[in-house]
Amino acid sequence: MSSVSMTSRRKPIDWWRMSGRVFLVLLLIFTILPMAWMVITSLKTGFAAMQYPPQWWPTEPTLDNYIRLLDPSQNIGRDFLRYFLNSIFVSVVTTVLAVVIAVPAAYAFSRFHFPGRTFMFFAVLLRNMFPAVIFLVPLFILMRWLGLVNTHGSLILTYLTFGLPLAIWLLKGFYDNIPIQLEQAARIDGATRFQAFFLIVMPLSSPGIIATSIYSFIGAWNEYIYAYTFLNKNDTMTLPVGIQRFFAENATDWPGLMAATFMMSIPVVVLFLVLQKYFVRALTEGAVKH
Amino acid sequence: MTTSTPQAASRQTTGAPAKASVWRSIWNHRTDYAYVLPALFAMLVVIGYPVYYTLDLSLFKTPASLQLKDKVFIGLENYSTILSSTSFWKVTLQTLIWTAFSTLIAFLLGLGAALALNREFIGRGILRGLLLVPWVVSAVAASYVWKWLYHSDFGVIGALAVQFGLSDKPINFIDNLQTGLPSLIVVNVWKEFSFAMIMLMAGLQTVPEQLLRAAQVDGASVWQRFWHVTFPHLKGVSMVTILLLTVQNFNSFIIPWIMTGGGPAGATDIWITQVYQLAFGRQRWGAAAAYSVILFVIMMSLGYFYVRSLTSGDRARAVE
Amino acid sequence: MTRLKLSRAIGHGTAVVALLGSLTSTSAFGASVDVSKWSPEYVRSIAGTEEVDTVGHCNSIVPTDYKGKLTMWYQAIAESDPQIMHQNYDEFWAAFKAAYPNIELDAQGITYNDLLDKLRTALLGNAAPMVVRLQILGGAEFASKGYLEPLKPEDVGYSSDDFWTGAMKSVKWDGVDYGIPTNNETMAFIWNADIFQRAGLDPEKAPATWDDVVAYSKQIHDTLGISGYGLVAKPNAGNTPYRFMPQLWAYGGGTLDEASAEPKYQDVWLNSAESKRALQASYDMYVRDKSVPASALTNTQAENQAPFISGQLAMMIAHPSEYARMQDLASKATGADKAVADEVVSNMRYGLIPTGPTGKRAVVFGGSNIHVIKSEYVDGGKVDEMAAKAMVCMWTSPEWSLKLAWSASNPGNLGGFKTKWMKERLDSIKFLDVTTSMLPNGIPFPVIPEAPEIMNIIIPDMLQNALTGAMTVDQAAEDAAQKVKDLVGGM
Repeated sequence: MSSVSMTSRRKPIDWWRMSGRVFLVLLLIFTILPMAWMVITSLKTGFAAMQYPPQWWPTEPTLDNYIRLLDPSQNIGRDFLRYFLNSIFVSVVTTVLAVVIAVPAAYAFSRFHFPGRTFMFFAVLLRNMFPAVIFLVPLFILMRWLGLVNTHGSLILTYLTFGLPLAIWLLKGFYDNIPIQLEQAARIDGATRFQAFFLIVMPLSSPGIIATSIYSFIGAWNEYIYAYTFLNKNDTMTLPVGIQRFFAENATDWPGLMAATFMMSIPVVVLFLVLQKYFVRALTEGAVKH
Repeated sequence: MTTSTPQAASRQTTGAPAKASVWRSIWNHRTDYAYVLPALFAMLVVIGYPVYYTLDLSLFKTPASLQLKDKVFIGLENYSTILSSTSFWKVTLQTLIWTAFSTLIAFLLGLGAALALNREFIGRGILRGLLLVPWVVSAVAASYVWKWLYHSDFGVIGALAVQFGLSDKPINFIDNLQTGLPSLIVVNVWKEFSFAMIMLMAGLQTVPEQLLRAAQVDGASVWQRFWHVTFPHLKGVSMVTILLLTVQNFNSFIIPWIMTGGGPAGATDIWITQVYQLAFGRQRWGAAAAYSVILFVIMMSLGYFYVRSLTSGDRARAVE
Repeated sequence: MTRLKLSRAIGHGTAVVALLGSLTSTSAFGASVDVSKWSPEYVRSIAGTEEVDTVGHCNSIVPTDYKGKLTMWYQAIAESDPQIMHQNYDEFWAAFKAAYPNIELDAQGITYNDLLDKLRTALLGNAAPMVVRLQILGGAEFASKGYLEPLKPEDVGYSSDDFWTGAMKSVKWDGVDYGIPTNNETMAFIWNADIFQRAGLDPEKAPATWDDVVAYSKQIHDTLGISGYGLVAKPNAGNTPYRFMPQLWAYGGGTLDEASAEPKYQDVWLNSAESKRALQASYDMYVRDKSVPASALTNTQAENQAPFISGQLAMMIAHPSEYARMQDLASKATGADKAVADEVVSNMRYGLIPTGPTGKRAVVFGGSNIHVIKSEYVDGGKVDEMAAKAMVCMWTSPEWSLKLAWSASNPGNLGGFKTKWMKERLDSIKFLDVTTSMLPNGIPFPVIPEAPEIMNIIIPDMLQNALTGAMTVDQAAEDAAQKVKDLVGGM
């Protein structure tokens, strides 16, 4: 890895490298500026946020917006924390189910050659071709039949199906790259097919499983339009819908909204930053190497 | 659990499939289906019924004064109305512009970032993490933040431009016919480029180091090394990335809906905002369903390439 | 549902009386308030003249020990609403619980902009709540589709005369009442006296006509470089018609004939010369003079608060709650912000909405109504009618229809104006007398199922087409008129 940079250091000026750095700096500014303004706005009072020219840094920064959101003794704090827990519940269950369903399916698509396999694999992948908005009403009616309206079950079932196509595809790529001889050797040693799968194949595909989990989790955490349609009860709402409370017919609480948005982003950003190297590895091995 | 083994399976598929043997084959593989059943079932529930519902509803008219169940059968009229309306073609053109530019720019930025990050340097991990943040945050949050940044009178971007003397008054980004759509494309690119980046970073891991070194020894320039060594290795992953982004962009909704609602004067209306407006804003459920079916057809033809590209590894193995 | 059904027969054949027409005859009212005398002084004079026993009254309709279950949706108050609203809602739930300890209540606050969409979807899946409190614009749509149970003030022991005629009109479909008004309000005009002064205008006087608004806006923009009038034209926003319709009506225009004495909702007025003049006035401000915020095309009223409070916008049509909101913001500001905030608040002035060239003054008659949904569309398949009545009775009482509309609106039940709480409001909410005195100028939106589409989509689209230059003023008006014609004609 580092040898590339070692060799290039010998040249007087490496224009490619220079321009690469400049490009990265510009890209970083483009990436960070909106987030930075979000954080700065969240530190302002409602009044200070409404000034022009804007206060680049609040004259009197305040953490009130955060304290308000995290204080369970107030209505807003109680609601925010509940939305937060709801989001965590929905995202975690979705993620666990996605893995439990995707792993065997991907394994079967990779290893077995049952009739209809290709067709079914295509069918799974095609899920992502359908835009969410088109299905809102029929799915609402369906969820009503299933008795899932106003429950987290409706969201989990729906979110599951967004995550699955990519998860199955990614994991299948993993299994395709794991030599079948490994399992055969285990089988000869007396392991059942399930044991061979569970003890040999699963651990080897763990980066894929981690990547799949992150992908499902982020998708479920951020989803808005289905949550908006399926949930009408305050105590079931998830964060993306819940933060709408900061908008009213006649007033907008920008600092409160920005604080809520910032806090809503923290869990997924942290999760992702911690696990990003697995994600790249998983994509390398599961998606790219064919 | 042990009725069929992988070896047996591959033997089976090589035989000529007479009708009876298809059933036999299905029977022999019956436990295999158990593995994919949960996934298929979830898909069937969430796709099957809505597709049926949409197809059916697309043949009806749904007046504002009647309940949906009292809809009026009008055959294919919804389809002909949509396809003969100028607004459909205008929105289609805008959708194509939105998708093509968002995908292309996000891909190129992602490629540049992946290449620039492919060298080891201090702080690389943190930089990579920061660049990935937009992809991770919710589209709803991003839309509100950008709307606040773009604000034609009080936006911080306009204020910065005034501060640095680049403009004498705040900049109008999203309140005019010319820059509305491009401004939203910038937001979409912001949200998506890091996905391309991470995919391509993964792709770069597969480029053999020795090959690059050999090329360098042979005196190949940086560009030649990229074009003749790196790029061919990225072809597959680039294809997948571009297709995934294309599908996602055709299906975009949140960013234009929250930021402009399709305005001003329809300048940022794309397919899905149009369908939503038809269904929920104007309650033309039948017309919205017909619109959706037209989109299915368009998406399915795209889906052919999508599936082909995602399964290219399979076909390569089949040849082996 | 027997009691509610009975009301249907009585409700049939009730004459449709236009609000403006009825104001001249005292006989239509008189049950509690004499609307013909309506003026800021009259409103002050009757406040605090009557004691009410809300619980006693409602318990006589539905006994206090009634055991039941109720689901309900209402427009949620938001975090950004003034503190007193949060307090009053909390008190209301507590009061309901005390009056009906055995009714299990599940009340969900839904964001204003979401409520119509959500209710439509819920009705399609038979998952609606039993009782819903809806914005005034929505009733006709759901009534015409047959989703609502007949419901009138007499069903809960009030008289139809206790409510504004215009409000009662908004719940009537095909001669039957399908709801009871909970609150009604009209907006007024606010301006920043300091800006007026600096621009060389009389700081204490609102522009008299809409032509004056155009001229003032230009003068302010040209002398100070800031925005004059707070135009809003966001698509698909209920907010836009509330600002544009007063202008359209004042010039003598309209969408249909809703501004006439006895509207039939058959003729399309949008392409009349008067309507075009109103649209031209907006065009002149936005395009010719550039004297209004450029962000008008993506703005709702909420976004105009920013420029107003920071002294970058001189005047706009504003809700009664705007002042309370500004005060609330100012009270939360600290240090240097506090001084600026207090100054803006002290420079805020309220006045009547300007008239048209012929002296016609108009404003949207806004508010909300409470409805009961038919059992077949309700989650659970059965409406608990007694529990529903208990809620309707409490919410539309003089006391609670006032308290739940404390800072943003006015009591739907006119009896509320006579209570001591009205006195308290008048004393604590500055300019309340101005906004309430606009009430007689209120014109209701057309009471037809297509009204939401006309108001929230066609009108904003017309503005957008004209203001962006996508069409000329003439074309935009003709285009919108054609759309209304097609829509009402059943296309």
